[in-house]
Amino acid sequence: MSETRHDSSAACYRFELELQAYMEGENKPFVLAHIRECAFCRVVVEDLEALRAAVRELPLEEPSAAVWSNIRAQLATAGAFAEKAGFWSWFSQLDFLRRPIPVAAFACMVALGCLLTAPRNYPEQDSTSALTATARRTAVRSMGFMGDNEALERVVRELEATFRAREGSLAPDVKTTYENSLLSLDTSIRECSDSLQREPGNSLAHEYLLAAYSQKAEVLSSALEFDEGR
Amino acid sequence: MSQQKTPAPKAASETQLVARAQRGDEQAFAALFEIHKRRVYSLCLRMTGNTAEAEDLTQEAFLQLFRKISTFRGESAFSTWLHRLAVNVVLMHLRKKGLQQVSLDEVDSCQDEPVKRDYGDNDRRLMGSVDRISLSRAIADLPPGYRTVFVLHDVEGYEHNEIAEIMNCSVGNSKSQLHKARMKLRDWLRQNEGLMTSGEPVISDQAPTER
Repeated sequence: MSETRHDSSAACYRFELELQAYMEGENKPFVLAHIRECAFCRVVVEDLEALRAAVRELPLEEPSAAVWSNIRAQLATAGAFAEKAGFWSWFSQLDFLRRPIPVAAFACMVALGCLLTAPRNYPEQDSTSALTATARRTAVRSMGFMGDNEALERVVRELEATFRAREGSLAPDVKTTYENSLLSLDTSIRECSDSLQREPGNSLAHEYLLAAYSQKAEVLSSALEFDEGR
Repeated sequence: MSQQKTPAPKAASETQLVARAQRGDEQAFAALFEIHKRRVYSLCLRMTGNTAEAEDLTQEAFLQLFRKISTFRGESAFSTWLHRLAVNVVLMHLRKKGLQQVSLDEVDSCQDEPVKRDYGDNDRRLMGSVDRISLSRAIADLPPGYRTVFVLHDVEGYEHNEIAEIMNCSVGNSKSQLHKARMKLRDWLRQNEGLMTSGEPVISDQAPTER
């Protein structure tokens, strides 16, 4: 246990040569014997095993809603689906909506329109619940697109308060489904926030945080929409 | 692999959904998208390390799926077939970008570094709870060739012979790239102090089991 890097021996060199095969599952008695004696080489193997375990636990990531919108628009334009006249056939004619950036700009404009034209006499503490479900979703998406973290966080807090006030009226199985989704998203938000606290410049954590807030807002909007639609 | 749960379409089995999608049923296609979008997007994200590219590639993969779904004969699981299609979409994209995957040989010859041992405290080791954000970031930071092999093998569960076929390289090359990718990830995570926790050794008497 008192070895240092400079004590790397011929045995350590042989360990390095056999390590790849050992990690591939091959029987390498020398590696097993060596890591019992050499603390440094043992830690290498432990690290690789821990890394492999951590990779297996990586959660799946959620794409933004714009992905399906773009797919749907392209397929509708190509006439891929059995034609159903209505909203989608009108939507698909808007060529610029097929790319994410114009979609984001369009969503911002719609959100701005919704916010400017919405009546102003809503109670201050419940502004999001006063919007229609569609306007609420659009506003949330536009904040996600614009990367407005604080606004999104505020909206999520308000939506959550409204959801908590109404959750008693939801059927138990529906409520459980929403609760599970919210729990998972809260975990993601916590992990991203922790990561940002440790490393404020971590752009990936920032992106994930925004995505998690957007998804939480979507789930809450969906729950409120479900409740309003009953 | 843990994943976020959202209400899944219940009405039909996947086989029925595929059959309906093959007939141009929009709802069936939407349901297939809903079922598989996370796995396809996660694959694209981990192979590119970029959310915007990953979304574009997810979109492209599902558009290709729609174009090719009539050729699916059910000889393999639909998810396997779709997954392979998505891998091909990503590899094609990376090749177009000039990140030639089979520059593996080139990477191979110049990066034979010794195992790094001098991280200070030799009792500290990466434990099972490696921070997932940092791990994702470390994977994104890998050179493209290493990243592709690592994601295909360790994340997505492909075998080396499959990777060799997909990437037009030898099985030995795939194994070698994977090992180097793992060592690079270890170095990256080791250099990030916040990720290291101390704990009891976790060595077994058997060689690690491959998936």
